[in-house]
Parts: sequence; structure tokens; C-alpha cells
Amino acid sequence: MKIGELKENSEAVVSGLNGDPRFIGRITSIGLTPGCRVNIIKNDKNRPILIYSRDTMIALNRKECDGIEVTEVRS
Amino acid sequence: MSTATIALLGQPNSGKSTLFNALTGLRQHVGNWPGKTVEKKEGTFTYGGTTYSVADLPGSYSMSANSDEEVITRDFIASGKADVVCILADSSQLERSLFMLADYAGLNAPCFLVLNMEDVAKEQGKKIDAKAIEKKLGIPVMMFSATDTKAYDKFYSTLERAIKEKPQINTSSLEKGYEKLNGYCEIKSQLDSNTPSGYTPMWLTAKVLENDKVVSAKLKNTLPDNKVKLIENLSNGNDGAIALGECKFAWIDEILNGAVSKTKTKAKLGKLDRIYTHRIWGKPSVVLTVVLGLLASFIPALPIMGIGMGINALNAPIREAMTSAGSPAFLTGIVCDVVIASLYFIINMLGFVFGVTLVFGLLEEVGVMARISYVFDNTMGKLGLQGKSVMPFLVSFGCTMGGAAGARVIDNWGQKVLTIALAWAVPCGAAWSIVPMLSTVFFGAGAPLIITAILIVMILHMWITAKIFSRGLVKEEDRYGMIMELPPYHKPKWGALFRYVLGRTKDTFFRVTKVVLIVCGIFWLLSFSSGSIEDSALYKFGVAIEPVTKIFGLTWPLFLAFIASSIGKEGAIGVISALFTGGSIFAATTGAAEKAANINEILLANVTRPEALAFIFAITFNMPCLVALAATYQEIHSVKWTAKIAAYYTLTALVLAFAAYRIGLVIF
Repeated sequence: MKIGELKENSEAVVSGLNGDPRFIGRITSIGLTPGCRVNIIKNDKNRPILIYSRDTMIALNRKECDGIEVTEVRS
Repeated sequence: MSTATIALLGQPNSGKSTLFNALTGLRQHVGNWPGKTVEKKEGTFTYGGTTYSVADLPGSYSMSANSDEEVITRDFIASGKADVVCILADSSQLERSLFMLADYAGLNAPCFLVLNMEDVAKEQGKKIDAKAIEKKLGIPVMMFSATDTKAYDKFYSTLERAIKEKPQINTSSLEKGYEKLNGYCEIKSQLDSNTPSGYTPMWLTAKVLENDKVVSAKLKNTLPDNKVKLIENLSNGNDGAIALGECKFAWIDEILNGAVSKTKTKAKLGKLDRIYTHRIWGKPSVVLTVVLGLLASFIPALPIMGIGMGINALNAPIREAMTSAGSPAFLTGIVCDVVIASLYFIINMLGFVFGVTLVFGLLEEVGVMARISYVFDNTMGKLGLQGKSVMPFLVSFGCTMGGAAGARVIDNWGQKVLTIALAWAVPCGAAWSIVPMLSTVFFGAGAPLIITAILIVMILHMWITAKIFSRGLVKEEDRYGMIMELPPYHKPKWGALFRYVLGRTKDTFFRVTKVVLIVCGIFWLLSFSSGSIEDSALYKFGVAIEPVTKIFGLTWPLFLAFIASSIGKEGAIGVISALFTGGSIFAATTGAAEKAANINEILLANVTRPEALAFIFAITFNMPCLVALAATYQEIHSVKWTAKIAAYYTLTALVLAFAAYRIGLVIF
């Protein structure tokens, strides 16, 4: 599923990244690589989605989120 | 005395600017990288008999080729101009922020690692063993807190050690990871000799696998064709970039393994962040923060504005003294009307710039700016801007020069120019000081309607201007939505911040004064007359061109007041007053002269209501003032774009005046 479909307070693992080289460069440099764990902190409409990953709070634009595939994990 | 050059490298929010300001203080120089629209910050400091020049490399997240900033940064490092590169990482987010180091590994320039924000990491219960990291990396590694004055001695000694030992990152275990990747060994074997200087074959190979266009082009120039072909076949697009990202983070995990211990805490938003990121209260709380910040900025601004007042108070005594000493009217005019009045005008606004730079710098440093970006990302994204752009817009309701100075926090040049261009459409405090008065005089109870119309036109204006200007300014690749961290809040370093703000205000003062004196001088010459106003060149010009300006609803006094409003809006009514009563146009323009007591009657007797409507729109949406123009140039470093924006605003103001006049003719 896409990262934007996750509910608040859920946890997931990044399973894949799709996009142009610039997007891939940006997203890996901020720490989102396959296998990396993310917590969804906030997911409000019309706002970037807020996630927590590698000790960092990250804001992701909704459109960009479409390129991030995740698998939800039950904690 | 010896010299050395150091370069500061770090992701945004790693505390790079704070360190740069703390090291160099007032000895900074801001310009552009040659041929590029990227800001170049350099500075110097002396320690232990050595003069260091410091290059603050433009902010980016990695060493890829995705932006001008990143290419400039890595070209500078590879050029060998820096004796040592100081890489900064955020201790509180070590894993992620070491990515820059991992991406750097393989460049030849000596380096050392500064783990900044030691205090924040401690608060989070993280213990970091810098010695253990140093052992694995093979370069000096130190814990650091830019706000702690004692930490700097440690910084200087580490710096001296790094310059002496020329350490390089031990990349063997990183490369072991790379070697498992498809094509890595094959490509590297083609590169082992004859590579561009400054880069190791390992680094270049990794970039080829990442599909780095700039590196591929470089290799094409140095390698024989058959090798280039071979390499092109082996590089494999996105998969390569993702795999290399994984390798780098695996290496970082290995480095940090055993060196970092933390009490596991669950990620959650703090109290303040719950308000800022709130679905409903987020925007109001951000706007409130900025407005309170603006009000607070008046506290440091007031003493500076006081100096401006003091200078103006000298005007009358100096004029008297010069006249009684027999100085010719022309000379007295230059000294009193041009120099003193201009300085008064500039210093008044400079107070605002000082306050705004300080408050915005503070918001940026403590981490609030990132929240503002988050909240307004969607709204500003529609204009092709970043969320931060909302701040200069809000400031511009007070002073456009402050708005231009505030746009400094926008890290992309094109978006910065666009932000300033749009901020000009926001009516400033000077416009607000005359528009309600004019509206009331001419339209009585209808004044609120005029104000509403102005606000609606402002929004449309910004929207249309964004469409027109964004094409040339904001490149398709910069139209990316936000991918940004929200850093933990941290304390500001007041000393460094103050010195930085003082430096910027000083630079602004000199640049702005130069422009203002020249333009004011010319305007004064045109308005100078030995006797009655009819002798001045300005009058003759205004009357001659009146048939044209009347199309826009502007009679010659209104048109001259419109021209004067490009220099300063607060003077627009004063100019009309001077034109009808025979006072000095120039003194009225800079706001240094009083307007006639019966100005309301003068206006009503000489100006019709459609003309008044045209005039209100013309001056509201004219370029804000000469000082704002100069400040815009100071921020964007481009004569071409400054001129474009100014011409555009003069033209659109006349178009709006025309529309308002025609509508007025129908209504009244």
C-alpha cells in the first residue's frame, strides 16, 4: 500500500520507492530506504503527512507520498 | 602568519549557519557563486596565529546532482580549495544526518566530523561515544554544542589537528557493501586510472550507479569512448540509487553500532507541535506567532528608528545655519532635502529590517520555521512557493523592505525572487496609512468597500503575478512538494545571531543608501526650482504628459504624486498638498514635510471621485518604495530581475488605475 493510506499511529516498513531520480535522491537522503521502519504521526487532509523514522520527524508532501510503498506491521 | 581554508558541510538544520556565524561574526561576505544564482557565504577568523577563511557550502541533503546547490558543493570540495572540510551532523538524529558523511566518503579532501546539538541529544537520553565513532571512521570526531561557548576551544583544537593530519574517511567497509552491487566492480575497474582529480574511483562508481548525469558527463570527457559505452550499459537507473542508499545506511548502522545508546522513547508530538500541526488551529497559531514576532521586532527596531528621528530633527537647524552662512539654495537643498531627508527615510525602515531579520533568524534557529513551512506547504505550493513564503507576505503588510529581508530564509533562489515579487503586491504600512484616509475623504461610508476591493485585488494580483513570473523563476524540478524534517526545538545562540543580524543590517544599509541617494538626487534635481513650482522639470514633464496620463484617470498632480509614491508612499498625499499649495515636492515625498491643514478640502476641490479611485489603486499597487527596491536587489543579487519586477509593478499599477477609473466613471 501507499504510505498516505496508513492511519495515524500505525507502523510500517518501506517496501519500495518509485519516482524520478531526483525524488529517489531526496527521499533516500532523508533516510527512507527499503526496509526502514516508519511511524505515522499525523495524516490530515490538505497537509503534508508527518512520519517518524530514523529518530527524525519528517513532513512529506501528499503527492510525493505516492511514490513510497509500505507494508503495515502490527506492533 | 599562516592561512587555511575550511569548508562547512551539513544538511539543513545541522546547525551549520549557527557555527558559521559564531566563527566569523561580522567578518562575512555574501555574494553569488560565479555564474549561478546560488548564494555564496564566506567569512574569516583568526585563531592561534592562523587566519582561516570559511566557506559555508550551500545547504543540501546529499552530494548528488539534483540541484545547483549540491553540484556547487561537491565541485568546491573536489577542487581542493579547502584544506579541510568540516562535516556537521545532528547528534539527536545521528542515523539520518550521517547520510551526508556517507555520501561524502570517497572524496579526496581531508575532513573531520562535528556531532552538533550535543545538548538536545542528552535531553533525549542519548549517549554517544565519539571516540568509538572516530576509531571506525579514521577521522577526528567531536561532540559539539554551538550554543556552548566552551565547546569552541575543542572545535579549534580539532580543526588544527585535522589540518595537520589531513585525515580521510576509512571507506573499506562501505566499499565492501558497494562491491556486492551489480556492476560496481566492473565499472570501477574501468575507472581505476585517469579519473578526474578530487574524486576516488569508488565515489565516481557509486555516482554512476546512482545515474548521476553530471558525473557521467565528466567521465565522458576523460575516458575513451569504448569505456564510456561499457559504463553506460552497466548503470541501472533508480534501482541503483536505492541500493546505494541502502548500502550507505547499512554502513552508518555499522558505525553507530555500540557507539550510541539510548533509552527507547516512543515518537510523539510535543505540546507546541500539537498546536502547530493541528488541522484547524495550525494556521491561526502560525500567523499569530509571526504577528507576535513582528510586534516583538519593534522593540529592537525602535532605538534605530529613534536615530532616524534624531537625524530629521537636525534638518531645520542645519538648514538655518547653512542659509545664514550664505550657502546657495541649491547646496542647502542637496544637504537638507536629499542627504538628510534620505537618511531619515532609510534609517526609519532599517529599524524594521533589523527587527525582522532578528525575529526571523530566531524562528529559524529554534526550529519554528520548519513548522510554518509544514502548515503552509499546500497553500503556498499552489503559487509555486515553499510554506515559508507566507512569512514575508505577512511582514509586507508592515514593510515591504522587511518582507524582502525576511525572504532570506527561503533557500531556493527562484522561489525567493518570486516570493519577493509577490510580497510587493501586499499593501505596506505606508499604503495603509493613506488609503483609508483618502477613501474616507472621497467615499465616506463607502471606504470599507474600497479596502475590501483592495484586498481582493491583492489576492488576484498575487495569483496572476505568480503565474507570470514563476515560469522564468521556479524550475520544474523545484516544484517538488515538501520532503523535510521537523527538527527538535533548540535554544538559539544569541551572540552569533546578533552579530549576524548586525552584519546583514549593515550591508543592507550601505547598499540601500547608495541607491536611494542616487535616485533621490535625480528626483530632487527634477523637482528643484528656484522660484515657483512651474520652473521645475518635473512640472513641465507632468503637464506635457497629462493627455496620456488622463487616460488612466490621473491628472498631472496625481500622476506626479504617483511617481513620487514609487519613492515612498507615505509622501503621496503630501506631494499633492505641495503641488496645490506650492510647497516642496521633494520634502513631501520623503515624508519629512507636513501637509497642509486643509488637505481634505484641497483634495475634494481638485480631484473627482473616479480620479480618486484610480489614484488609490495606482499608489496602492505601485512599487512599494525605493528602499524596498534597493532591499530587493540586496537579497536577490540580480539587476535584471529587480528591474523586471519594478517595471512590472509600475505598469500594472497604471493598468489597475485605468480599470478603477473606468469603473468609477460608470458608478459615479
